[in-house]
Amino acid sequence: MKLNIEGLLVYFPYDYIYPEQYSYMLELKRTLDAKGHGVLEMPSGTGKTISLLSLIVAYQREYPLEVTKLIYCSRTVPEIEKVVEELRKLMEFYSKETGEKNNILALALSSRKNLCVHPEVSSLRFGKEVDGKCHSLTASYIRAQRHSNPSLPSCRFYEEFDAMGKQVPLPAGVYNLDDLKDFGRRKGWCPYYLARYSILHANIIVYSYHYLLDPKIADLVSKELSKKSVVVFDEAHNIDNVCIDSMSVNITRRTLDRSQANVETLQNTILKIKETDAAKLKEEYRRLVEGLKEANVARETDIYMSNPVLPDEILQEAVPGSIRTAEHFVGFMKRFLEYLKARLRIHHVVQESAPQFLKDIFEKVCIDRKPLRFCAERLRSLLRTLEIADIADFSAITLISNFATLVSTYSKGFTIIIEPFEDRTPTIANPVLHFSCMDPSIAIKPVFERFQSVIITSGTLSPLDIYPRILDFRPVTVASFTMTLARTCLCPLVVGRGNDQVAMTSKFETREDFAVIRNYGNLLLEMSAIVPDGIVAFFTSYTYMENIVASWYEQGILENVQRNKLIFIETPDAAETSMALEKYQEACENGRGAILLSVARGKVSEGIDFVHHFGRAVIMFGVPYVYTQSRILKARLEYLRDQFQIRENDFLTFDAMRHAAQCVGRAIRGKTDYGLMIFADKRYARADKRGKLPRWIQEHLTDGSLNLTIDETVQLSKHFLRQMAHSIHDISNCNVQCFCQLNLSQEDQLGLSLLTLEQLQSEDMLQKIAQIAHQA
Amino acid sequence: MAALSEEVLLVVKRVRQRKQDGTLYLMAERIAWGPEGKDRFTVSHLYADIRCQKISPDGKAKIQLQLVLHTGESTNLHFSNESTALKDRDAAKDLLQQLLPKFKKRANKELEEKNRMLQEDPVLFQLYKDLVVCQVISAEEFWANRLSINNVDHSLSNNKQEVGISAAFLADIRPQTDGCNGLRYNLTSDIIESIFRTYPAVKQKYGENVPHNMTEKEFWTRFFQSHYFHRDRINTGLQDIFSECAKQDEKGLKSMVFQGVKNPMVDLLSLEDKSLDEGYGSNSTAPSTSNTNKTVKENSNSAIIKRFNHHSTMVLAAGSGKKIFSVVFTADPCANLAVCLHRDAPNGQACETSSTDGNSRDSDFFQPPIKKVKIQDVIEYEDLHRENGKKTVALNLKKSDSVLSGSALCTASCAIAALSPGGVLMQALAQQAINQMVPNDVQGELKHLYTAAGELLRHFWSCFPVNTLFLEEKVVKMRSNLERFQMTKLRPFQEKVQRQYLSTNLTGHLEDMFQMAYNKFHAWQTRRMMRKT
Repeated sequence: MKLNIEGLLVYFPYDYIYPEQYSYMLELKRTLDAKGHGVLEMPSGTGKTISLLSLIVAYQREYPLEVTKLIYCSRTVPEIEKVVEELRKLMEFYSKETGEKNNILALALSSRKNLCVHPEVSSLRFGKEVDGKCHSLTASYIRAQRHSNPSLPSCRFYEEFDAMGKQVPLPAGVYNLDDLKDFGRRKGWCPYYLARYSILHANIIVYSYHYLLDPKIADLVSKELSKKSVVVFDEAHNIDNVCIDSMSVNITRRTLDRSQANVETLQNTILKIKETDAAKLKEEYRRLVEGLKEANVARETDIYMSNPVLPDEILQEAVPGSIRTAEHFVGFMKRFLEYLKARLRIHHVVQESAPQFLKDIFEKVCIDRKPLRFCAERLRSLLRTLEIADIADFSAITLISNFATLVSTYSKGFTIIIEPFEDRTPTIANPVLHFSCMDPSIAIKPVFERFQSVIITSGTLSPLDIYPRILDFRPVTVASFTMTLARTCLCPLVVGRGNDQVAMTSKFETREDFAVIRNYGNLLLEMSAIVPDGIVAFFTSYTYMENIVASWYEQGILENVQRNKLIFIETPDAAETSMALEKYQEACENGRGAILLSVARGKVSEGIDFVHHFGRAVIMFGVPYVYTQSRILKARLEYLRDQFQIRENDFLTFDAMRHAAQCVGRAIRGKTDYGLMIFADKRYARADKRGKLPRWIQEHLTDGSLNLTIDETVQLSKHFLRQMAHSIHDISNCNVQCFCQLNLSQEDQLGLSLLTLEQLQSEDMLQKIAQIAHQA
Repeated sequence: MAALSEEVLLVVKRVRQRKQDGTLYLMAERIAWGPEGKDRFTVSHLYADIRCQKISPDGKAKIQLQLVLHTGESTNLHFSNESTALKDRDAAKDLLQQLLPKFKKRANKELEEKNRMLQEDPVLFQLYKDLVVCQVISAEEFWANRLSINNVDHSLSNNKQEVGISAAFLADIRPQTDGCNGLRYNLTSDIIESIFRTYPAVKQKYGENVPHNMTEKEFWTRFFQSHYFHRDRINTGLQDIFSECAKQDEKGLKSMVFQGVKNPMVDLLSLEDKSLDEGYGSNSTAPSTSNTNKTVKENSNSAIIKRFNHHSTMVLAAGSGKKIFSVVFTADPCANLAVCLHRDAPNGQACETSSTDGNSRDSDFFQPPIKKVKIQDVIEYEDLHRENGKKTVALNLKKSDSVLSGSALCTASCAIAALSPGGVLMQALAQQAINQMVPNDVQGELKHLYTAAGELLRHFWSCFPVNTLFLEEKVVKMRSNLERFQMTKLRPFQEKVQRQYLSTNLTGHLEDMFQMAYNKFHAWQTRRMMRKT
């Protein structure tokens, strides 16, 4: 259907539209008009992606000069491919409706592992191996060497691409990862480099967060992207952690040992080069004197996105004299390494700020702040000059140099914690230096500054106001949309007590309590008897799950559960878990039914959807608080309190609730889906917890469904399931009939969940839709 | 001349038959004897043809073996190698002893099967009587295409439905204290069956040990004492016969994990696009995987989890009847070889690489479609589409209507209707008329004639197009069969009918059908003659 969104003609590739989609597009359009940033929460399964794509593509066509590019960031590879497929659908609709061929180029970008077509390289199993191997075939100086020695191996795909691929731009169309591979194979071009090259002139790019948020990758891939782009972070509920992860560094003894070896290799290479090709080093020296002018010019003229690891000050200055020659720099690094080694030789935990660290290093080994700041850049230049083939081998020393630059650049937002051993095993020395980022805004700042509109969206962003605060930006629109439902297809229940009236909670003091564990077991047992097909249960942590499973086994609860369903359990090993997941789905598929025991914050809870019969009930055992005894977390909480005035408890609860919402949200993937959401902890009943759930769940959490016993839960669940078990087609048919009635301008409650074009044009409906968006 | 593909199980030299020296061969399907110096067999019997074997008494000078066939004939074999004659004979005898029952069973089964079919189906029985007993066609011909068809659906219907396995079958074995400081486990044959099907390794152990090494009771006692049964116990003792089972299970699990998953949507390994480099990230200090700093409790906990996953997987696999990787390994004797190889190869490298190759090829060929379908599945919003399911149904109906009223189908069905007894062409014999005019016994006889003739004609027509020598022979034979049937059955019936009633039209249609066949045969024959000349 064709929609009119405040004067913008939007092609929407379906016959009907959910009211919340319309409302979502409205807000989105306003955000784009204002050239500002937005935070939008809409439940999963209400067609967020297609709404985003439809509106932004329409906007791009209408105002090609205002918005030149859409950068769509998602989290996982399947998500990326899903987005591209939806986009393909939209584009097909466009060409069908307008009758003209599209001139939009859209493509997905992923790592070499997913794009490589070289027969040998692509057969490697791990991403790092693929990257390393690729680099050893395609690095510029290796190719230069090949001029003199043609027998060196090469990648014909890269050579072909380099020779031909850049002359003609990729023809317009929608390219998923497999399409790129096909295209690459056909033409004999490297799909990875083709994609990387093509994103510069593509209209729509779909890739993962890291390409924008991880400074190491962003600098390679994304820094030249146009300012007039719209950036979308989908599934963004965890974006702060992604930011923090990309800026944090951990240094262990092993890292130091490997760096030591790296430094020695560097030294030897330098000696060798000095004998054979001294001019090369001199040339590098000259370049360093001139400084990083080029980069500076580029940044000032706004061609490049800034890089948080490459602070502005560095660009204006030349590399300091003390580390300008290669030998001096290597000596400098050696000294730095020795210092770090000495710091790791401690017996108690040390926590200090970056300035304290700098002061200490100056006092102990006379290393100044300034040369430290140039470390990362200086090392990169050296590696380039020395023509080191396999950069992957130098990851340790690169890590150290990045640490040096970061610690000397940021006096705020980071903390250094040195732990001599793990908390669980105090007898085994395993010293680690955590240089942890506490401020997610550092990594994402360049993104907000560079691009005119950044949209942060997810199914679970509540409470909405916290994201702008911790990411430090000023959104123009903040909105949460509910799911309009013709039938209440989700049923959140808070179970607070067992049948013996003992409170159920994963609170630290009582979590090992026999009665609590038994009650949890009984809950699972009872549910396994009444819920059809699949049940997914989440625990607060892996160790907690292990303990509970063990005691359930001893008490014979699991054996009784097995009478009803098969049991599969997440393990720390991803491959094993994948298999368990597949078997779980198989068991749901063939009617046996199964239970998947899983962990909040784990890979399953973040990336796997349990549509329809794969998840008819989700049980959340306990409140998934993060492990609060960690020093890093404590430091972060302190920082949040001091900098953003966010109280520790507020943040912890927010964090726990967003993960709980993520977990229970896994089961509802659309309006035709249905599922139970069981919160098994009495603390969920409290207003401060409940209030932090997304609005679309909160709405259905009535007072009657709080603090239930197991028996009551079973009763309510039975009732709900029986209601839902009426054929979905009855209801959807009924829906359709209702539309027909509504088309005859009869109002009906059921007409709320789907709309036709005519309805959208009616004044009444528009007013109703306006209420769907909940302005925060 | 021995077919090369035949597997020779035993060769005995210097065996005399009819005073000729020769060599005796025992093959997989038959026993054969060839005279010395010639490379063909003068004696060759399928095991299925042999009714029994007889041997000469121990004290006798001539050491002989006699094979008695079902037909009553017999073959004497004289083992003449002086030194080893007795041993040779015994070897041959023992092997035959093992082989014959297998084939006998098969032969008996076939007979039983035929018998059963005849008993269950009176029409067939009548047909059999008409055609075989009267020697119109031979028994083999009669059964040739019946048995094969029926075998399939019969085996389906006869095999009792596979019963799934309860996931909690181990829980059903509730240990009970017997009052004097002991435990009693109750096992039923169902549970044992479940255990065997879920844990083929245990079945293998059972086969190896019972009853040679221990009694059944002892076996199960040990089973219940083993760590294998108690999932929280860690394998420690090596003397336990089940420790190997656990190892095998683990191996199976590993290989399954290594194979990876087919559905890319649940593959957690390829979920992340770009993992953080080592050393970055806020909690990326990889949890030390060394077992040393894990407590015993933790170890046993993770063992429970692993075994639960394994148990569920096996139950699922056993229930779906689909043999999964590890099951194949242990259940199939040939595949056992593969396991051995796997073990022998230096840390399993060789095998693993080969299986990755297979895997990657697999994924290259099969993954894209699966992936596409899954993704399409996920992005589809069915309720946003206009319901058009009904429309297509209506359309279909219309179409099929027009097809039905179409000329082609109409003529075909008309023809069928007309040709079948009681149809337009047979109007003279409207059913009512037959019912009233013809006594029941004649009606019955006519019915039999029809079925028998139909069967014969079916045989005849199935020979066309005649494109092999065999069919050529058959068609000629069938024609003579038809003629014979007409002479021996149809004619007497006609005469009988003529004697009793005036209406001769009763068999007109039958005659027509025969005539049609003769015409066809004639046409075919003349064409063949033309081609030959």
